[in-house]
Amino acid sequence: MTEGHRLLPQRLETDAESVERDLFKLVLTVIELVRQLMEKQALRRVDEGDLTDEQVEGLGLGLMHLEEAMEELKGRYGLTTADLNIDLGPLGPLLSE
Amino acid sequence: MAEPGRYLYAIARGLDAAAVEGVPGLDGAPVETVEHRGLTALVSTVDLAEYGEEGLRRNLEDLAWLEKVARGHDTVIHAVAGAAATAPLRLATICLDDDGVRARLDEWHDALETALDRVQGRAEWAVKAYARAGSADQPPAEAADDQDTSGKGAGLAYLQRKKSQAHQQVQSQERALEVAERVHDSLAARCVASRRLAPQDPRLTGHEGVMTLNGAYLVEDAEGDVFAAAVQELAEAYPDAHLTVAGPWPPYSFATLDPS
Amino acid sequence: MSIDAVERVSWDVEGSGPQIALVDLLDRLLGSGVVLAGDVVISLAGVDLVQVKLHALITSVRAEMATEGRVL
Repeated sequence: MTEGHRLLPQRLETDAESVERDLFKLVLTVIELVRQLMEKQALRRVDEGDLTDEQVEGLGLGLMHLEEAMEELKGRYGLTTADLNIDLGPLGPLLSE
Repeated sequence: MAEPGRYLYAIARGLDAAAVEGVPGLDGAPVETVEHRGLTALVSTVDLAEYGEEGLRRNLEDLAWLEKVARGHDTVIHAVAGAAATAPLRLATICLDDDGVRARLDEWHDALETALDRVQGRAEWAVKAYARAGSADQPPAEAADDQDTSGKGAGLAYLQRKKSQAHQQVQSQERALEVAERVHDSLAARCVASRRLAPQDPRLTGHEGVMTLNGAYLVEDAEGDVFAAAVQELAEAYPDAHLTVAGPWPPYSFATLDPS
Repeated sequence: MSIDAVERVSWDVEGSGPQIALVDLLDRLLGSGVVLAGDVVISLAGVDLVQVKLHALITSVRAEMATEGRVL
């Protein structure tokens, strides 16, 4: 409960050994955020019904491959989606899920 | 001490001063009483360097300080609430001296009598409900084994899976909130008064799921067991709500002097 | 399925029963409860490089202090 005297500051400590992994985590977090936003937006566009079947299929395939790529990248460093979640305090976690 | 002030812990009615004999106040000072018009203020001397306006502004953001003061404050509340009708005060109510304390007792007199009437012979119970832990680690929307993920329509199928997942999440959140409403309404009907407090940050509670109910309920002393049993029943009816119950506590949430 | 936790806190000053959780106490003893500041500091080899700072939000207590403070 009393984690230090300030109200729970978080530090992403990196050092020579872990810098690669930690920066990777940061980069993946941003990519994951963009990926989730893209998916939400794609679903909205599909719902709006103004896309052709080819466009829908293309979107779906693209997003599916993006998700697969993310899984592969996360796997390389043994990261889960929870690991990528930076805490923004009152704004809640960065990633919505 | 550079400049002393008086820290107020609570106001009691019908308190036997012996009940606070030996009760420690903040920073090792003894707890004392100031009586006025039939009400008793529980006080102790504190250093205004730490508890005055300047000091508070600094210290209120320090969790270690908050913990020390909250625990110290609560020790006194518990000692008094066990002995007489008590209106716990909020953290860091400070007066310059006992004349100031009496002036406060004067100013608050009627509101205090009302609050004490409300809490006499009653205790606070805290009930919390949670939604299931977040789906942060939900596996990617996996195709059913018989679906050809490389064939025609695989993209559309992916989108459909995602849409269905999102829909399920929204539904499950709505359901969790609905359950919290029902639990609260059911408990509110069984007690003298109730209040919903803001949900607590998961980092503070250590509980993974989102808190959907942070309820405070004022229950007659003799009805405590019945109330706890009612929570148990609700926990069985709504296992996904992960209900927790705690009490009996001093009536912190029901003795406030705010208009609300 | 039974309740996860039933805590009975006694009136005893020495606190023989389980203590009330600090977060619950602060919820009730502070005007606005507790909201955590989210300070994220990214550092490398002990050198702070990037800081994302957000305010602590114990603001309504400060407002109360202005009125409940000194009595002259």
